[in-house]
Amino acid sequence: MTRLARTSAWPGIGLAGGLLVVCLVLSLVLGPASLSLSQLWHFVTTGPVPGNLENAIFWQIRMPRVLLACLVGAELAVAGVILQDLFLNPLTDPYVTGVSSGAALGATIGIVLHWSGLPWTTMLALVGGLATLGIVWMAARRRGRIDIFVLLLAGVTISYLASAMVTVLMIQGNQDMRAIVYWLMGSFSGRGWGEVQIALVAVPFMILPLFFSREMDILLQGEKRALELGVEVERTKRLLLVTAGVLTAIAVSVCGIIGFVGLVVPHIVRLLVGPGHRSLLPVSLLVGASLLGIADLLSRTVIAPNEIPVGVVTTFVGAPLFVYLLRRGRKG
Amino acid sequence: MALVTLRDVDFAYDERPVLRRISFDLQAGDFVGIVGPNGSGKSTLIDLIDGLLRPAAGEVLVNGISTQKYRRRDMAREVALVPQHFDLDFDLAVREVVEMGSYCRGKDAAARSDPDQTLARLGVAELADRRFTELSGGERQLVVLAQALMQQAQLLLLDEPASALDVSHQLRLFDLLQRLNRDGVTVLCILHDLNLAIHYFEKLLVLSDGEVAAYGPPDEVLRPAIVEAVYGVRAYLHKHAGRTYLTFSPRLRGERLGRVHLVCGGGTGAGLMRELVDAGYDVSAGVLNALDTDEETGSELGLSMAVEAPFTPVGDEAHAQNLELMRTADVVMVTAVPVSHGNARNIGAVLEAVAAGTPVWAVRGLLDADFIGLTDELEPAGVEFFADDAGMFAALGERSSGRRGVHKSGAGPSGPPALKT
Repeated sequence: MTRLARTSAWPGIGLAGGLLVVCLVLSLVLGPASLSLSQLWHFVTTGPVPGNLENAIFWQIRMPRVLLACLVGAELAVAGVILQDLFLNPLTDPYVTGVSSGAALGATIGIVLHWSGLPWTTMLALVGGLATLGIVWMAARRRGRIDIFVLLLAGVTISYLASAMVTVLMIQGNQDMRAIVYWLMGSFSGRGWGEVQIALVAVPFMILPLFFSREMDILLQGEKRALELGVEVERTKRLLLVTAGVLTAIAVSVCGIIGFVGLVVPHIVRLLVGPGHRSLLPVSLLVGASLLGIADLLSRTVIAPNEIPVGVVTTFVGAPLFVYLLRRGRKG
Repeated sequence: MALVTLRDVDFAYDERPVLRRISFDLQAGDFVGIVGPNGSGKSTLIDLIDGLLRPAAGEVLVNGISTQKYRRRDMAREVALVPQHFDLDFDLAVREVVEMGSYCRGKDAAARSDPDQTLARLGVAELADRRFTELSGGERQLVVLAQALMQQAQLLLLDEPASALDVSHQLRLFDLLQRLNRDGVTVLCILHDLNLAIHYFEKLLVLSDGEVAAYGPPDEVLRPAIVEAVYGVRAYLHKHAGRTYLTFSPRLRGERLGRVHLVCGGGTGAGLMRELVDAGYDVSAGVLNALDTDEETGSELGLSMAVEAPFTPVGDEAHAQNLELMRTADVVMVTAVPVSHGNARNIGAVLEAVAAGTPVWAVRGLLDADFIGLTDELEPAGVEFFADDAGMFAALGERSSGRRGVHKSGAGPSGPPALKT
C-alpha cells in the first residue's frame, strides 16, 4: 500500500477531517426520521427552537448522540495509539490497563443500586475507571519508575478481578442483568447532552499527546534508546499513561465498553500514514471519530426501529478487518 | 580537565557486583577501545558514563559534573551512545530514524544536522529513503551510528559496533571512527577483536571481571601475559608485514599435558609446534639456527629452545643446552629435517636420548632428507618411526590419554597416564 503524507502531516489530516465531516453529515441526516440536506442546514442555523417536535428530535436526541459517538471514537483511538506504542505491542487496546473493567464495575454497582442514568451510573463508572488506573499505577511503581510490563500484568489481573465482581453482582441483582449486559456491550442509545459534556472534558487529553509526538516516535525504539537520545522517559511515560487512562475512563463511563475501535483504528491509520506520531495521532483521532459515528449510524438504522448495540457493530466490522490486517502485516 | 572521569566507581545489579573500583580518565580527543571477556562489565561501564546507570559508589563525571546531575537532553548533547542491540519494528523511513537523533538539539532547525548529510558522511546517502525494517544488519548499524552523530556530541560511545559486520564493513567502520576522531570527536568503543583493537586504537582499556586490568597503548596493554591472565587463553605475538598480530590457543593455562622436545629446522617443525602447543603440550626445540623459520615460530610461541647463531654449525654450548632440554622431555620428536654437517650433532643428541631411555619418535621422511648417512643408526638404536607428522601426533594423543602408557620412567602398558603438568 502506498503511503500518504510521508513528509507533511497536513494532507492526511485534511483527508481525515473531510471524512469526519461526511460522517457527521450522514449521521445527522439519516435515522428513523431522515432529513434532507436543506433541513439539516435549517436546523443547524436556527438552533434549538422550543415547541417544534422535529427540531427537538434533532437537537435533543440526534445531535448529542452523534457528537457523543464521535467524541468517544476519538478518545478510544487516541488512547489506543498511546498504549500500543508505549507497550510496543500491536495487540494492545485501551482496555488492557483494566480501566474499562473498573468502570464496568462502577457502572454495575450503580445499576444494581438503581441509581440509573446521569449522573450516578456514569459517575460511578468514571470513579471505578480512575480508581483502577490508580491501583494499577501503584502496582507498577518500582524505585520511582513505572515498569510497563508490570503495569500490563497488573492491568490484566485487575480486569479479571473486576469482571469477576461484575459477574457476582449480576447474579445477585438478577432483575438488573439485562441492563448490566446492555451497558457492558456499549450503546449510545438514550444518551444526551449531559454525557456529551462529560465526554468534552476529555478534549484537552486528546490534544495533549500531540505535543509529545516526537517523544513518542523516539520511544518506538524502546525506553533505553529514548533515554540515550535525551528523552525524559519517565515523565513522558507517566503523562501519556495518565492521559490514556483518563481518556478510556471517560469514554467507557458515558457509553459502556465498545470494542475494536481503540485496537483497529491505530492499525488502519498506521498503514495509511505510517507510524510517525505527528500524523498518526491526529489522523487516528479523526478516523476514530468517523468510524464510531458511522458504526452508531448503522446500529440505529439497520434494523430500525430496533437497535443493534454499537459494540456489536464495531466488532462485526472490526474483527474481519483486523484479521485481514494481521495477515497482511505478516506478509509485508 | 578530563572529558570523562571515573573515580573508584562500584556498580552492582541488585546484589551482583559488576564493576569494582573503576578509575580512569578520558581526555577530549582520545581514541580508546575497551576490550575484555564477556560479562566483564564493558556495556555497564559505558551505560554509567552515559548516566543511564547510577554508580553504587564513587563518581562518574562528564565535563567535571556528575552524570546524575544532568538532565537527559543535556546529557545527550554531550554523550552519544551507539547501542549493541537496536530494535525497531515500526515501518519508518531511514531518514525519519536518523532524524530522531537530533531530538536533544531542540526544535531550532539551524542547530540541527541534516539527516541526509549525516548519512552521506557515512557513505550511505542512498539509504535515506529506504525503510529501516528492510535494511541488512550492517546497514542498520550505520544508520544507528548516523542517528548518534545527529546528537553532535563530543563523546561517542560504541557498544560492539563491529559485531554484526563483515570484514569489509568492519574496516570501513573503524576507518570512519578514526576520521570522526580526527574531526574532534572523542571515541570510546567496545570491541571483541583484539587485532582490530591493536591496529586502530591509540589506547586500550582492558576490563577483567569488573576491574581495570590495564589501560594504555595497545602494545603495552595487549602483551601475551595480560591476554592470558584476562581471557584464560594462550596468546602469541607475531610480527608480519610491519604489523603486530595476536593469535590464540584455546587451552587454558596450567593444563599442560607433558613435555615434548622437537628436533626440526627449515620449517619442517613449525606446523607440529603449533599443533602441540594448541593441544596443551609444553614444547621445546633444538638445536635451531636463529632466523630459521622454525626458530621464529618457536620464539613467537614462547618455546624454550637451544639456539645457535645463523648459518653456524651446532656449537658446544647449544648442544649441551639441547641435551638438557631432551633430558627433561617425555618424548623427543624428529621431523623430516634435512640432515647435514651443520646439524649432525642433533642426531647424536637424539641417540643419546634413546640410550638414556627417553622415547624418540621420528617421521620416515627424515631418512630421505639425510645427506650424510647418519640416520641409518636411528632405527636399530630404538627410534620409533611414523609415516608422517599426523601419525606421530595421533600416537602422542593416545599416549597422553594413557592407552599406550609408554613413559620414560619405564611404566608398562597398564601404567598410569603419562601426564606431567
